[in-house]
Order: sequence, then C-alpha cells, then structure tokens
Amino acid sequence: MTLLDFARGPALQWSLIILVFGVLWQLLGTILIGVKKDLSKPRRNTAVRDGLATIATRSLPEHQFEKKIRFQHFSGYAWHVALFIAVLFSAPHILFFESVLGFGWPHLPNGIILVTAAIALAILFALVIRRLSHPVQRLISNADDYISVIVVIVPLVTGMLASAHIGARYETLLAIHFLSVEALFVWFPFGKLMHTALTFPSRFRAGAAFGRRGVKA
Amino acid sequence: MSVDNAAFRDFRESLERLGIDTPSEVISDEERVRRAKQTFMDKLDGRMAVDLTTCVHCGMCAEACHFYEATQDEKYAPVHKFEPLRRFYRRELSPMRWLFRPFTRDITAQDLETWQELVYDACTGCGRCDMMCPMGIRLSTLINVMRQGLASAGLVPAELQALQNEQRDSDTVFGVGAGKLREVIDRLGRQGIEIPLDKDQAEVLVLTTAVEVLLFSDALAATAKILNRLGADWTMLSQGFEAANIGLVSGDEVTQKRATAKIVEQAKACGARTVILPESGHAYQALRWEGANVLGEVLPFEVLAMSEFIAREIDAGRLKLKSPANGSSVTYHDPCRLGRHGGVIEQPRQVLKALGLDFREADSNGRENFCCGGGCGEYVIKRSAPLRQKAFEIKKREFDETGADTVITSCANCRINLMIGADNAGWQKPVESLVEKVAASLAE
Ligand code: SF4
Ligand code: SF4
Repeated sequence: MTLLDFARGPALQWSLIILVFGVLWQLLGTILIGVKKDLSKPRRNTAVRDGLATIATRSLPEHQFEKKIRFQHFSGYAWHVALFIAVLFSAPHILFFESVLGFGWPHLPNGIILVTAAIALAILFALVIRRLSHPVQRLISNADDYISVIVVIVPLVTGMLASAHIGARYETLLAIHFLSVEALFVWFPFGKLMHTALTFPSRFRAGAAFGRRGVKA
Repeated sequence: MSVDNAAFRDFRESLERLGIDTPSEVISDEERVRRAKQTFMDKLDGRMAVDLTTCVHCGMCAEACHFYEATQDEKYAPVHKFEPLRRFYRRELSPMRWLFRPFTRDITAQDLETWQELVYDACTGCGRCDMMCPMGIRLSTLINVMRQGLASAGLVPAELQALQNEQRDSDTVFGVGAGKLREVIDRLGRQGIEIPLDKDQAEVLVLTTAVEVLLFSDALAATAKILNRLGADWTMLSQGFEAANIGLVSGDEVTQKRATAKIVEQAKACGARTVILPESGHAYQALRWEGANVLGEVLPFEVLAMSEFIAREIDAGRLKLKSPANGSSVTYHDPCRLGRHGGVIEQPRQVLKALGLDFREADSNGRENFCCGGGCGEYVIKRSAPLRQKAFEIKKREFDETGADTVITSCANCRINLMIGADNAGWQKPVESLVEKVAASLAE
C-alpha cells in the first residue's frame, strides 16, 4: 500500500469515524447534562424568533461594540470566508466531493483558489501573532488554541503546495495533504474547533434566554 | 428631591466599618477546594457546558468590560474570570474528561483565593460581555457560578459576608428592621404622605430596601404619592419589606432563597396580586427572574419594577403628569439588572418622555450600557474602591458628553455608587431617582 493509498483509505476512514463519533459524543454528553426549566413568567414568548435573531445579529457589526473589535471581527470573517472558498470551490476538492456525494458544482480557477488560500493563511498568521503578542489573548490562550490553528494551517499549506506541484512528487504532496486534513478531523471533536458545531446553538440559546426577559441579545 | 448630606456621610462611614469584625470561618485548603468543586458540579448545566466548549479565546469580551476598559489590565478580561470553572469542567464533567484530565491542571485553594479578587472586586455581573461575545456565550452566568463556588468555599469578601450573615441571621440589611421603617413612615406621615402599613389584605404589596430607608426616603415618599394618587389598594409589611437580596450578590443560595421566601410568604399572606419592587436592579433580578427558580414554584403574583409600573400606568392613561417648569436636560443610567438582565429598558424612557424632559441618551445605553461600576454588592468592598473609581470615570465621561444637567437612574445602589464616585472626583452633576422625578410632576 502506498502512502497515498493509506491516506485515502484507512486513514480517511478512521479519521472520519473519530470525527463523527467524537462530535456526537461531545454533543450528546453536553446535552445530557440537562438544563432546568425556567419557572419565571416570560415577558414574551418569542424564543424561536429571538434565538434566530441572535444567530444573525452576532454575525453583524454592532454599533457600540464594533469600534473596539473591528480587527478581530473582520479578520475572523475574512479568513473563514477565504477558507470556505478554497475548500468548496477548488476543482480537485469538487471532484472528491462528487465521488463521495454523487454530485458536484462549478469550480473556481486554480489561481483564484491559490490566492484565496494565501489570504486565509496570511490572516491566520496575523491572528497567531496577535494571540502571541496581545496581553489578553496571550493570557487566555492554551495548547488547544495553538493546536487548533496548526491543524488548520497545515492542510492549507499542503493543499497549496499540492495544487502548485511544489516541493515533492504530486502523489506524495497529495498524500500529505490528505493526512493533514485527517489530523484536523481527528482533533476536531476534542478542541475548540467544536465551535463550528456549537456556535449557532449557543447563540440561539442566548437570544432565547435574553428574549424571554424582553432583551434583544 | 435631595439626599441628606449628613446621612450620606454617615452611610459612607458605616461602609468603612463594614466587615471589620466579621469572623472568618476556619476552613482547610482541601475543604475549600472540595466545597467549591461541589458547587461547580451542582450549578453547571448543559447550557453552560455548551458555553465552556464553544469559547474560541478570541478575547473580544475584554472590550465590553468596564474594568478592562478602565485599566487595560488583561486579568480583567471576562473570559479569564471563569478560568478555574473551565478547568473544572474539562477535568470532571466534560464528555471528554477521560482525555482532558491528565492535561488539565486541577483547581487549588490558591486559585480560589486569586480569583476572589477577579470575581468579586472586578466583576459586577453586569452582563455587558454577554452582549459582545460572538459565540453567544453568557459569561456573566459562568462568573456567577464562580461566585457561588467561592461563597461555598468561605471566600466572600468580609464586607459582603457581613451583610450576608446579617440578612441570613436576622432578615435585616444595614441594620434596618421594622422599627426603622416605622420611624420613616411616621415621619412621612407627619408630612402628609400616607403609607399603609401591615394591612391584612391588599391588591398591591410594595417593597423597599434598607438603603432607601436610610438614604433615599424621598423615593419611598414618591412611591407612596404615586400609589395614593392612583387610589391603589396597597400596603407595606413591617415583616416583609426588604427587597434587597444579599445572597444573590454574594453567591450564597441559602441566603438568597431565604430572603426570597420571606417576600413570597408575605405577599401570599396578604393576597397581593402585584408586588412592586423599589428602585433596585438586583432586587428585580432576585424576585422577577430568579424568585420562582430558587423556590421551585411559579409565583402567584406579578412582579413589577417601579419604573415599569409607572410606565404602564402612564400608558393606560391612569397617571397624568405635568412637565416640570424648568424643562431641564437629563440623561438616564440603565441599571444592569433592570435593563440588560431585566428587560426594563424602554419603560423608563417612556416615563422620561412623558415628563417632557430634554432627554439625552449617553453613548452607551440600554442593552449596551456601561455598569455604574459598583453593582452586585461591589460598592461595599473597600479594597476595590480605586478600581471602581477608574470605572466611574467612564460613566462620568459619557454623562458629560451628553451635556445633560442631571443623571437619572432607577436603582438606589447605582445611585449610591455614582454619588460616591462623584464625591471622590469632585464632580457636581446630581444623580436623581426616576420615581422622585415622577412624583414631583404629578398633575393636579
Ligand atoms: S468573546 Fe466569547 S468566544 Fe471570545 S474569548 Fe470571550 S467568551 Fe470566549
Ligand atoms: S459581567 Fe460585566 S463586570 Fe463582569 S466581566 Fe462581564 S462586563 Fe465585566
């Protein structure tokens, strides 16, 4: 079995199993802790609307708070958007998704994907530098923060190298790219990447909880 | 409509003496950690578990906190204030604890002592950070669990502990019992302001707070004038008048429950359909939002903040106001537990509008308002006075920017804290009560 066979075969299967079961385990375990029913009389019964509103508004710049967090806010947006473009619209990725899902969609030219991935990478580096240098972020950061950023940066770099055919044989580069994505899958349920699954539920519940008191969150 | 300066000075002096001779419980380090952990275990729920897992350590919440804003000291970042709770969750409760445990440092007694300053002196539970977090994390509830853990570990600051012991053991706050209340009611009675006391049955039960009795009896008089003008069937009860809940602010659930139960029992006994709370943010949170939950039963009456009640009566056309003669300009300070935590944001503004005042909104207001800096019992903690004063400067700057002559608020504790800050800074702007403004403008 070649490295690429291993990366595309058992490594992919196992990393996906860990990803799926890990995420389910986290979600189920957290939900099972339970929440007590709130017995106070709500000011209004619009939990669903309030929850959905908070999902939306926490994604928008907010008047009072925006002044101070502009850098984090927009850099956060920019790198997520760049990452999604690079992941979802690169031609080889779409071919891979098609082989799994049975359908595909139009791709963007390789040059654009490379530039987008480079932008995502540059912002991630800037955020790491900020994490290391800003007193608040330095204080609150832990190993998870650094591991999580590494498991995102490495697939971006290996993906760019593979698509530009730089550094080694294409098969080797591709195998390393696969393995780096699999490392991300394996780490996902254990660290802060779980926010991907929990951000919207968390915002929803904040919106609903404040909403029943009559406060827009 | 003024505060008796001598009474205010006496009150400030009494704060200096508060807690000096409070006996501190002797607890071993192991026992402190055990108790704190037990409380964390009891209090953490699924919602908080999601919050503790979702945090991406972006640090944005720091920018919401007045203590960080005032000092730029990273230890005041809200997310840092519940760090031991996060570690506890990862080691002992998280579904991944079997993996995290060897890599996560356990809580120590030293941690608990260090975090005492962060959660009592440097957090007023104002919830401004809750509004900022892009993940929707309700940080103030997590920091409150920290307070509860520290309270069970015997680490409430001495001043708050003294007040908590007093309310737990004798149902009074700042020594204000039935006798002191009667004195004030008699004095107001001699001025022609009737306050019905200890009626067997009444539609409306009105509560007050010790600080209102001691310092702001004009607010109590104003409440009486408004209710009398409305012809309400109301009473105050000498055995159940205190709305302040020290247990809520210190983190001691036994005291919190006891203080709430006392009000609820009295309200049930006199058949009240409405309980009106005085101008106090935390009292509103304690009864309106947490009362039913700490007692485990739905409350059989409605609970209204005085400002909420006034707005409703104006809206219904039952309370008529005349505009004040001089049409002065005012700004409004939202008490955090009435506004952001309580939902009473628009009502006071409706009242100010009905008063025809030149109302000027401060830069931060409503759900985004900066705390007065002394909420959640913090203004009684002596060692945090310099920090509070720095936070006060934020308020002072914002109030000054409005150009308003007067600051209005609807919480006696915010009022005291702002007055102390103003006194220290030699700042002259009066800080007045909403209910007093209304009573002074009742139409003939
Ligand atoms: S703003 Fe929210 S996600 Fe960011 S550090 Fe604070 S609590 Fe965590
Ligand atoms: S609740 Fe208020 S005082 Fe406490 S950390 Fe958050 S913003 Fe700061």
